[in-house]
Amino acid sequence: MYEMHLNDHPARVDRLLLAALGGLLVMGTLFVYSATLAGGSAAIPWYDDIWVRQVFWYLIGLGSAAMICIVDYHVLARWSLVAYGLMILCLVAVLIPHIGQTHGWGARRWIDLPFFQFQPSEFAKLGFILAAAHFLSRPADELSQPWVFWKGIALMLLPFGLILKEPDLGSALVLIPTGVVMMLVAGTPKRYLIKLGLIVGLLGILVLADVLFAPRGLQIKMQDYQRQRLLVYFGIDFANKNATPEERAKAQRLRADKSYQVTQALISVGSGGLFGKGWCKGNQTALGYLPAGAAHNDFIFSVIAEEEGFVGSLVVLTLYAVILFSGLRIAGQARDRLGKLVAVGVVTLIFSHVFVNIGMNIRIVPVTGIPLPLLSYGGSSVLCSLIALGLMQNVYIHRRGY
Amino acid sequence: MLIFDELKKNDPQLRLVALVLVAGFLTLLTGLWWVQVVTSRKYQTHQETQAYRTIRIPAIRGKILDREGRVLAENRPRYNLCVYFDDLGGAFQQEYDRLRPQQVATSGGIGWKFWRRSSSSHLNRVRLSRAQMDALTWQARFNVVDEICRRVGAQLGVSLPLDPKRFVRSYEEERAMPFVIMPNLNDAQMARFEENQQDDHGVNLQLLAVRYYPYHTTAAHVLGEMQQDNQSAAGEDSFFNYRLPDYRGVTGVEAIYDDQLHGHAGMDSVLVNSQGLRQSEVVVSQPEAGENLVLTLDLDIQQAAESAILKYQGPNASASAVVMEVHSGDVLALASSPTFDPNDFAQGITAAKYKEIQQLTAEKNRATIENYAPGSIFKTVVALAALEHGLNPHAIYDVQENPERPGRGCIYIGRRKIEDTAPPGPYDFEKAFMHSSNAYFITNGLWAGVENIIRMGDRFHLGERTGLLPHQETAGEFPTLAHVTAPDWRAGDTANLCIGQGEIAVTPIQMAVLISAIANGGAVLWPQLVDHFESMDTPLAPNPSRFSAGLVRDDLNVSARNLEVVRHAMLADVQSPGGSGTRAAVPGFEICGKTGTAQIQDVHNRTVGHNYWFASFAPYENPKYAVVVMVQSYVEGGSGGLVCGPIAHDIYEEIIQKTGASHSLANRNVKPNILQSPPL
Repeated sequence: MYEMHLNDHPARVDRLLLAALGGLLVMGTLFVYSATLAGGSAAIPWYDDIWVRQVFWYLIGLGSAAMICIVDYHVLARWSLVAYGLMILCLVAVLIPHIGQTHGWGARRWIDLPFFQFQPSEFAKLGFILAAAHFLSRPADELSQPWVFWKGIALMLLPFGLILKEPDLGSALVLIPTGVVMMLVAGTPKRYLIKLGLIVGLLGILVLADVLFAPRGLQIKMQDYQRQRLLVYFGIDFANKNATPEERAKAQRLRADKSYQVTQALISVGSGGLFGKGWCKGNQTALGYLPAGAAHNDFIFSVIAEEEGFVGSLVVLTLYAVILFSGLRIAGQARDRLGKLVAVGVVTLIFSHVFVNIGMNIRIVPVTGIPLPLLSYGGSSVLCSLIALGLMQNVYIHRRGY
Repeated sequence: MLIFDELKKNDPQLRLVALVLVAGFLTLLTGLWWVQVVTSRKYQTHQETQAYRTIRIPAIRGKILDREGRVLAENRPRYNLCVYFDDLGGAFQQEYDRLRPQQVATSGGIGWKFWRRSSSSHLNRVRLSRAQMDALTWQARFNVVDEICRRVGAQLGVSLPLDPKRFVRSYEEERAMPFVIMPNLNDAQMARFEENQQDDHGVNLQLLAVRYYPYHTTAAHVLGEMQQDNQSAAGEDSFFNYRLPDYRGVTGVEAIYDDQLHGHAGMDSVLVNSQGLRQSEVVVSQPEAGENLVLTLDLDIQQAAESAILKYQGPNASASAVVMEVHSGDVLALASSPTFDPNDFAQGITAAKYKEIQQLTAEKNRATIENYAPGSIFKTVVALAALEHGLNPHAIYDVQENPERPGRGCIYIGRRKIEDTAPPGPYDFEKAFMHSSNAYFITNGLWAGVENIIRMGDRFHLGERTGLLPHQETAGEFPTLAHVTAPDWRAGDTANLCIGQGEIAVTPIQMAVLISAIANGGAVLWPQLVDHFESMDTPLAPNPSRFSAGLVRDDLNVSARNLEVVRHAMLADVQSPGGSGTRAAVPGFEICGKTGTAQIQDVHNRTVGHNYWFASFAPYENPKYAVVVMVQSYVEGGSGGLVCGPIAHDIYEEIIQKTGASHSLANRNVKPNILQSPPL
């Protein structure tokens, strides 16, 4: 692949990237199949099988990505503000009861379309990358002006706030590294970024401290399950300091309940060992220890890790690494800053998902309900990930403007 | 390579991003390495403990057979009707859905629902608290199982009430195990259940083995009692999540040879899902069946001994009969009355029945565990001691008349008068033996000296255990040499000893050994109850007998002439008119015997009852069998000959019928008489 730089006849597509992508899609199909094996019943027609649906979304996603590649990303960027506006509209709409659906999860994240449960927050990430790239691709001297910086921040905070309102903390949070990295790569002066970093860090610590240690009355309004996830992650008791023994016992039970998923995911990953138990031979999902609703979704990685072991984990990480570093190379080869920003945005977005999702399986990150791109089941997520990669490919294809 | 290209970029921002990516990937990789490789074992164990349950599967217990291979104890299938929770998940859910309160709601909302041809009114589930949901879940489970109990109960024609507490406990603690709703189905119930079984999802029969004694009370004391005990035996895995019912012998040979009979328990491993329900089952190790135990008992003779006691003394009599081969030491019958049915213990005894057994002290093996004064049968030992000391059996001794009871003799020891049941007059040895003259034996016992009597008794190993049933045997009582030579030992004590009273107590099995030694020419044997073990898989394979017959414990060292004098006197006791044991006589079969009657005295030295004895062997020429009968009675007016004679008579008749003209049972190889260590 090194020779690519010197090649006189530049390739239309990045083959290595495509191969890695293909690998992930095959794995996604295989393990969504394996993860849903236990819950499957003969009653549903084959086309309603979850893995078939996943393949269906892969195909749609690949088609969309191909279509996106046809139009030069400059053209797409011109429409980016429209896309951003539409996306904000959707994010507002999803908050309205009867339009936004909760599907029993307590968070209003979905808009039910006749054939598809549309999750606006996924598409918001895409819209945000395009809009931010368009906004930040202005001349470098403009970037050093405060109003541009603050406008950029506002561009990020608007969808962030709306997604947070759903609430979907994980999806909201990944916007921040994406935005920050894009600003950095765009050439925003260091002082702004350092200031931004300090503010975000300080806010984060304050919020965390408040959630974990503040007495009931002073706590930020937050969903119970979100607070509990954080408490679980930081290993703090649910009970107050002056709780009675019964309360303490109850809190402990609750804590065990709440950390159940994480514990089981960790057991899945750990029990996989070096080589794993073999495809479709993982006990954790088959026996229902890993909840059937989560295994093919946010916890797909633990299924892979259990069945294929450390070797499987290594393969998954390698495939992502190939895609992401190819993305960075595309960013480096891009014709202009717009292309570079789009590519970097996509890379950061996907990397954030991968890091948080896998990290949550091995308990280095608190549980946040964000999917593993391309592997987790879910139409919106698959579609957006593939479109994002399409955008990246678009930058690659149109890297020479002549 | 791709990654290093990115790290070497001259675009500082992109290089920074690449660096962050590399750091991120390395973090994940390290984390995964730690979890999946370094500490993987921990998670694997965790996974196993949450997903696997081990079940102890008891081995099939070895049978107990008599010397001719007839089954005295075996295992019968026992069918328990069980509910299998793992098949009922769907039913539980359905019942839960049915129980769950619902309300009709009219949806006035807009949105895609409207589009998707759904009606505007639908059923809404009422929101329940966690506690309500729990209660409802339990209710649903209980309803389902209760319904099954009622339906199956109706099929079988029995009522099967479901105890909620037991149900909840079983469901919480043993969810992966079958839940017994009716134990021990009989054949009719089995048939009815099988007829209706097709539509019974989640209900099935569980097969367990239960100990069965086909002859019920026969040889109950020898076989022993079983008790449920699911614990692991020595050398087995000690931890199991669940255990199927297993049994352990607590008395008799079931207890003594429990290790061999028991075999080795196996282990099943059950994979359970997150609800604790059974998913699949794997046999980790097969149970190894125990060995069959072949006894020296002969079922026919054992039954004859028991029915003879029953016939003459009734079911509640305190009595015992022992039949032993005089050369091999093989015990052919060991009867004890009152008796019990060991099936009751194996199947779980009712409190009422157990109380009844306890009131009769029926669990006691009276052939081995109780001390009895031997009375006149001890005169055989006194006779041997005196003869060895030089007593001329033809010398005449005059018994003086008891002034208070004309027609009966008596003897004075110091100022104490001891009564004699024999009439006064001249006596030689044989006449004295036949009439069991107290005066004759006391006089000659005193003449021979108490030390010689004790030495003779020691050679018979009186006061020592025979080793027949370890831990289920008493040693009896017999004074030591030191004791009788001490100054506080009086002539009166010796006189008492000479007639088998006072500081002497024996068991029927000890007496059988004693009589056998007299009969076989002086070899004091270790009595035998076990012939050999055989493996259950290959019962015909030659198996070296671990218990050799004719193990000699000691030699009497008594001259053949003197033994013959005693044997002939015993023959006369049964065969001659006027002998005390004539009731035992069987025409055409020369039986030699000695009767005995010992007084049982209460704390105030009042006679409250008697131990009646008949100790015998036969035939006179070429002795084969020793038969000892003991009856303890609190009824006045018996004697050893009257009470025990008929019982011995019936036993001998059975032996004759059994052995025909040959007078010999299927014999085991008798080893030459070499002194050997005890067999156990």
